[in-house]
Amino acid sequence: MIVLNYQDRRPIYEQVVEKFQILIIKGVLKPDEQMPSVRKLAIELSLNPNTIQRAFSVLEAQGYIYSIKGRGNFVSPQNDFLLERKKEVYKRFEEVVVQALNIGFDKTVLVECVNNTAERGVL
Amino acid sequence: MIVVNEIRKKFHDIEAVSNISTEIHEGQVFGLVGTNGAGKSTFLRILAGVLKPDSGTVTIDDEVVFENEAVKRSIFFIADEQYYFPNVTAKGMCDYYALMYPEFDRDKFIKLAKTFGLNGEHKINTFSKGMKRQVSMLLGICANTKYLFCDETFDGLDPVMRQAVKSMLAEEIINREFTPVIASHNMRELEDICDHVGLLHKGGILFTRELDDMKQHIHKIQCVIKEQEVELELLRELKVLKSVRLGSLLTITVRGSREEIRRKIEAKNPLFYELLPLTLEEIFISETEGVGYDIKRFVF
Repeated sequence: MIVLNYQDRRPIYEQVVEKFQILIIKGVLKPDEQMPSVRKLAIELSLNPNTIQRAFSVLEAQGYIYSIKGRGNFVSPQNDFLLERKKEVYKRFEEVVVQALNIGFDKTVLVECVNNTAERGVL
Repeated sequence: MIVVNEIRKKFHDIEAVSNISTEIHEGQVFGLVGTNGAGKSTFLRILAGVLKPDSGTVTIDDEVVFENEAVKRSIFFIADEQYYFPNVTAKGMCDYYALMYPEFDRDKFIKLAKTFGLNGEHKINTFSKGMKRQVSMLLGICANTKYLFCDETFDGLDPVMRQAVKSMLAEEIINREFTPVIASHNMRELEDICDHVGLLHKGGILFTRELDDMKQHIHKIQCVIKEQEVELELLRELKVLKSVRLGSLLTITVRGSREEIRRKIEAKNPLFYELLPLTLEEIFISETEGVGYDIKRFVF
């Protein structure tokens, strides 16, 4: 389901969190769909189950998933987390634009860059 | 729970373990790392009750381990060098351990041996080093003990087997009460499966810490800062373990959280900077360097 990057230096649970955020945002995992079990993931990825559990707790705290006692974890139906994530990315984008303007980029070049990138499509 | 209280062990005039105290709680996956000759194997042998410490105590679930049969029934120890009876087959070893460990699961062993492609009827001394390791690991898992102590865990195993061993451990952790203590030099594998790490050096324990916590509190920074005075100021403000400069590029290893470090650097208006978490291997190197175990001493 997800693949870890062994070159990535971040703690493993952060990677797991990020990979599932992407799967959920992109709709690969649908609202109310059951998340793979901690057990299955731990065995499949050869990871400590506590690491997966920790990643799931973070995802739950961020509103990406909800858990039902005894039944497992499910993808949240609301789009709250998407909204939050959009705000976060927008803020980062703003910062980059300011940085770019500060070091002398022309506004038209930046607009062009946005257009070109958008045309190339998303991953 | 394993409680180790100020243990020491001397072999003649060599102090292999000098004053180690630590606690290993149920459900933890404890990784034991250390420099060569740091006393990892001696420490594990004391934990398993093979050796008696000269002073100090080791208790497992509140009982002293040494010469205590009842406690030893809850421990399985895989030594660095495995010993098998002469001419014994894998099945023969399985029968032997089934006598010692009441919870030993023979069916599971036979099933696993088959999946691993090990022939139970063949003599173990015809097996390769890695295959012998596999047999020990399977015996250790199938003994169904609460504690598993494993020395040089991934030694001699190929990459596929290392994954398989980690998956097996993960499964046991989920399925039952299981607390493995695994020593290895293979940091990559330990990073995957352990949640706590203890670092040994020269018979003492440098620290034991939660792995994620450790990774979030030590970082490597590469940065370029224009004025030298500002740079010195930054070095004074951060908890620097090591700093190397190459031309105008400054590489420093620093203790502290990501946000805290980021804030301090950005305040100095660097031309460029990059913040990287350290891998367990790098943490090992920088921590042991701090106590004088430095590669520069070995290369000319």
